[in-house]
Amino acid sequence: MSRAAKIRPDWLGKTLCGVVLGFTLALAIVGLFAWFGPGGIDARDKYQFNMWLMTPLWLCVISFIYLFHSTRHAFIWLGSANLLAWTLLLLLR
Amino acid sequence: MQIRSDIMRIYQKLHLWCGIGAGILLFICFFAGALTMFKTEIAAWASPPAHVLPQVSLNQLDKLLHKAQAQHPELSKGFVIHPADPRFSPLSWSNGERDHSVNLSAEHWHATLDEQGNLITAKVQPNKLADLIDQLHQTAGIPGSLGHEQLGVLIMGGASILYFIALISGVIVLLPTLVKSMFAIRRRKTAHRFWLDLHNLLGITALPFHIIIALTVIVFAFHDQFYGALNQLVYKTPPSFMPRNAMQQPLDTTQLPNISQILSSANQFNEGYQATSINVMGLGTPRAMARIEMYNEQALMRGPVADFLALNPYTQQVLFSTMTPGNEGVWGRIVSSFFGLHFGSYAGMPGRWLYFLLGLSGAMLFYSGNLLWLEKRRKQQTSEQPKRVQIMAALTVGSCLGTVVAVAASMLLGKWLYQFIDNINYGYLWCYYLCFGLALLYSVKIGAARAAIHLLQLTAMICLLMPLTSLLALTIPTLGLWAPQTLATMMVDITALLAALLLGYCTKLTRRRALTGEPDSIWAIRPSATVKHMAPQASR
Repeated sequence: MSRAAKIRPDWLGKTLCGVVLGFTLALAIVGLFAWFGPGGIDARDKYQFNMWLMTPLWLCVISFIYLFHSTRHAFIWLGSANLLAWTLLLLLR
Repeated sequence: MQIRSDIMRIYQKLHLWCGIGAGILLFICFFAGALTMFKTEIAAWASPPAHVLPQVSLNQLDKLLHKAQAQHPELSKGFVIHPADPRFSPLSWSNGERDHSVNLSAEHWHATLDEQGNLITAKVQPNKLADLIDQLHQTAGIPGSLGHEQLGVLIMGGASILYFIALISGVIVLLPTLVKSMFAIRRRKTAHRFWLDLHNLLGITALPFHIIIALTVIVFAFHDQFYGALNQLVYKTPPSFMPRNAMQQPLDTTQLPNISQILSSANQFNEGYQATSINVMGLGTPRAMARIEMYNEQALMRGPVADFLALNPYTQQVLFSTMTPGNEGVWGRIVSSFFGLHFGSYAGMPGRWLYFLLGLSGAMLFYSGNLLWLEKRRKQQTSEQPKRVQIMAALTVGSCLGTVVAVAASMLLGKWLYQFIDNINYGYLWCYYLCFGLALLYSVKIGAARAAIHLLQLTAMICLLMPLTSLLALTIPTLGLWAPQTLATMMVDITALLAALLLGYCTKLTRRRALTGEPDSIWAIRPSATVKHMAPQASR
């Protein structure tokens, strides 16, 4: 029953994970939105909206990362999400 | 709603430390930000009435411009037109460079025409009080710059990251008891309960506002980094803000542009929008531009006061706009709405008052948050509180009330010293930092309990003196003071009077708590014992 075990605070590890991997994940998601979201890559002034999208995505990852059981879990989940999002972006772009 | 206790504990801790890390800075910015909602009014209140020249009719603007340029050729570099707005002179220009920071010694020229069509010009030292309050709002008063960005702006970006995390964690912590305790302010129970209920109520009712402010400030501080990362990693060809080929065919740029043509194309650009000012810059270069502020009370606008439209001043070709109508403008308009939600530039005057009150309620949120942090660390049944609690209490009171005292004192002294000081703008700067520093020192030296009472009382008196100064100006005109001449500037005095009453009431409450409240609190004052244990701190 490791799932039900108490969450470890892991302040430093989780924070670093959220700040770094959260930022790269936000970049990839914004990239997918910029290229394949409504309006496509060329819509007028959309690049400004894309930049604005960075903050809520990044900050939500940082805020909710402490829900992960430990730094290891956070790293594995965020790392996989990054890998998936960046692969999609670089392959499809 | 149930939340596991280990999650609760983690997010409680997160909320506490993010809050205490950013609280004081956020208080300063929210207090100053509330005042910037009435930037125009405060600027007019602080300047002698003679600073504004009378308006001319719209069809005389071009005549005024040509006559002024004949005498002052330097205005061709750039000038500002305020059409038909009695709060401003019709034409003005400056010798100073424009950049992020406030130019305190820039000289402005104002010009108008008299009834016979003769040119009248006046050299004016513009009053920068409102701009300095705006700077305080953006930087929390932290001077210096890093690259081309102001250091204070970057630090506030960091503080806003903590602020956002504190908001999310605060909501998580509150969720289990939200419905039960939301509107309950248990005043009678304990002081701690009262502050906690107030903190929760302010935070939850204004939550959308706080989320918007936190996110926008992070963007304001770090947009360069975000754009840079996106340009390098996501886009193939980085997009640019302005069409570079805006002025390809050579034009005769030695002539002055035609203001009535610019004005009429601007007013036709988007229904409901009126041009309120035209800033013409870069004449004689390929980057010539007329940057027009466009006002529409029904819209959520991109700037603090209005939307923007940039035209080629000679061809009236659109260079960019923040309210492009139709489908192609949709992304730009969404982005404008993010700015507008931060600036409160919608819903006219009621919207400004709402944002003024939200700003003050935000400041209260952070102040009460710091007080709760202190309460949590307080040792029961002893008058000797831990050193770090005493220091944090002194810092909270000294910086928060210190900022309020310093801004109020700058506003008041500015009026009195105006005629004695060569450039009052430097006077404001000195006065602010001196008062702030003294308040902080005072608070650290005599302790938070006494400093809170004295600083509140002092601020109340300064606020009371503002309307009294205006009364004095009316009764004894030879003093060289001035009284408000419009409803807008009179409201500054009335608001100061209300603030004086409110602060006076707060002083009374704080004093009562110090003398008759719980004796084991850092806010308690007991004649002999407190003085003794405060004494070692005096040497700090």
